Amino acid sequence: MNQLLKIEWWKWMAILLMLYVLVAGFLIPLKPGIIEVFNSDARVAEPFTTEVRTYNTRLGQADDIRAWLWLPGDRLIMSKSVSVINDTYLKAEFDTLGNGIDVQSRNGLMASLMIDNSLEGHYFFRNAINIKSAEMAYMRPQVFYGLDEIKTRKQLAFPFQHILYETSRNTYFHVAIWMAMFALLILSCYYSIRYLISKKFEFDIKASSVTTVAIVFGIAGLLTGSMWAKYTWGAFWTNDIKLNMTAIALLVYLAYWILRSSVSDPDTRARLSSVFNLFAFAMLMVLVMVIPRLTDSLHPGNGGNPAFSSYDMDNTMRMVFYPAIVAYFLIGLWMAQLRSRLELISRD
Amino acid sequence: MIKNIYYIISKELLIERRDASVFLSSLLYLIAISFVVFKIFSSLEGPVKMGLFWVIFLFTCINIVGGVFSYQSRKRKLNIYQLYDPVDLFLAKFAFSYLKLIIAGLVLILLQMLFSGSALVNAFLFGKTFLLCALGLSLILSLVSAIASYSDRQTGLVAILSLPLVIPILLLGMRLSLISEGFFQDPDSSQYLLILSGIDLLLLSLSIIFIPLIWKS
Repeated sequence: MNQLLKIEWWKWMAILLMLYVLVAGFLIPLKPGIIEVFNSDARVAEPFTTEVRTYNTRLGQADDIRAWLWLPGDRLIMSKSVSVINDTYLKAEFDTLGNGIDVQSRNGLMASLMIDNSLEGHYFFRNAINIKSAEMAYMRPQVFYGLDEIKTRKQLAFPFQHILYETSRNTYFHVAIWMAMFALLILSCYYSIRYLISKKFEFDIKASSVTTVAIVFGIAGLLTGSMWAKYTWGAFWTNDIKLNMTAIALLVYLAYWILRSSVSDPDTRARLSSVFNLFAFAMLMVLVMVIPRLTDSLHPGNGGNPAFSSYDMDNTMRMVFYPAIVAYFLIGLWMAQLRSRLELISRD
Repeated sequence: MIKNIYYIISKELLIERRDASVFLSSLLYLIAISFVVFKIFSSLEGPVKMGLFWVIFLFTCINIVGGVFSYQSRKRKLNIYQLYDPVDLFLAKFAFSYLKLIIAGLVLILLQMLFSGSALVNAFLFGKTFLLCALGLSLILSLVSAIASYSDRQTGLVAILSLPLVIPILLLGMRLSLISEGFFQDPDSSQYLLILSGIDLLLLSLSIIFIPLIWKS
């Protein structure tokens, strides 16, 4: 017990944060959402019926389920009746769609399908339904509702995202590991500069052990990213720039490692590897700036992909994501500290 | 300083003339490898032509520039270390290898024109791209060669250390040469040239900062 208490405070913090990230990241549920809307063609002057498959919902327990067609301009059309088939499957029927739905283009009007009830709040499928204009003149006016009709419910849950679904939890692992890797690389540059100024061996050892941990993190980030890519983009390896950037960074730092092992004189080794570390980091920064100008990325935020912006990355996700980065960074520091101590001992 | 650099370059030229076989063998390597590659890819068309140009040129660069800082003996290294300022020596060696690279690149372009039977579409843009890329490549390779000259196994190390670092330069060079061949209707070629010159400038200043640090032992 005495030994345990001697651990510096930030190691306790790393353990606690990591536990928090694991527990919260895996146990907080996703918000309810709609996976599939089976009928997407509606027409003015005709009734509209569709079956809907939802995710993470308890439709069987809710008793005031309503379905809505959400038109541009925040106008809502309420369903006539909703019949629940099971917890995640329902059938929504709408009355004959009336006049006032101004379908202007020949391609029709895109409407979202929304479901709400007092138990779960509301959830919707963007642009699920295409409303075409009537073939004949039809005069019955349509009744619209406003957004204030919709029931909302605050709940502790991660946002529901199409295609990603439960894999969006990988944000706390893949993205966080990658960011921690970059933080560690910056730290190792700091130690390299300190070495070049002071010529103290300990800084060189620190720099090299931090870099080694960063390489481990890079491999872990690549593996988690690869699995995620297989699930969402359909291939383990894509021509995506951020993926290839990480691979290049790994190549650079593996070369750094080989450089260290191929110089026998410790003084020269420290000097050369510090310089190479700084030089390589500068070139990596150039790469980070140059490549996005040349290619599109599949990653969020590049080339028209939806980013984890204010809409996708909500506060619940941030609550886990930012601690995850800190946790990985601290654990990396811890690993690096152990490694550098080991090297210091084995030196003498 | 410029007098020093000029002096070192003239010395290098003297050594090169005395032992011309080194550079000539590099050129022969270039000719042989392009012959092999062009025979494998029997028809040279489209982006493949430019891609092959950059790949062959890169390996020729490693061949020519990779060894500039390796000396036959430790004594000679010590001698040079006492004689010159490291920055002067680096700049002279870099300038000299840049000249060699330009010659090698010209040979490669001529060979490519010969084998593919078609001239460059926009030779002016391609020339500018080539000069800037060769500048960056020779800077990176000279610095890496200076680093590797202290290690126990040099030749393989230069390639390992430099290949990941030259990627941004090669990607920009590839994009610009595709623009010059008319594959992209990209009006932004001047922006890419600007980025490329910026990278060269950054590399030059980094080398001047780092070389004295590497040098002292």
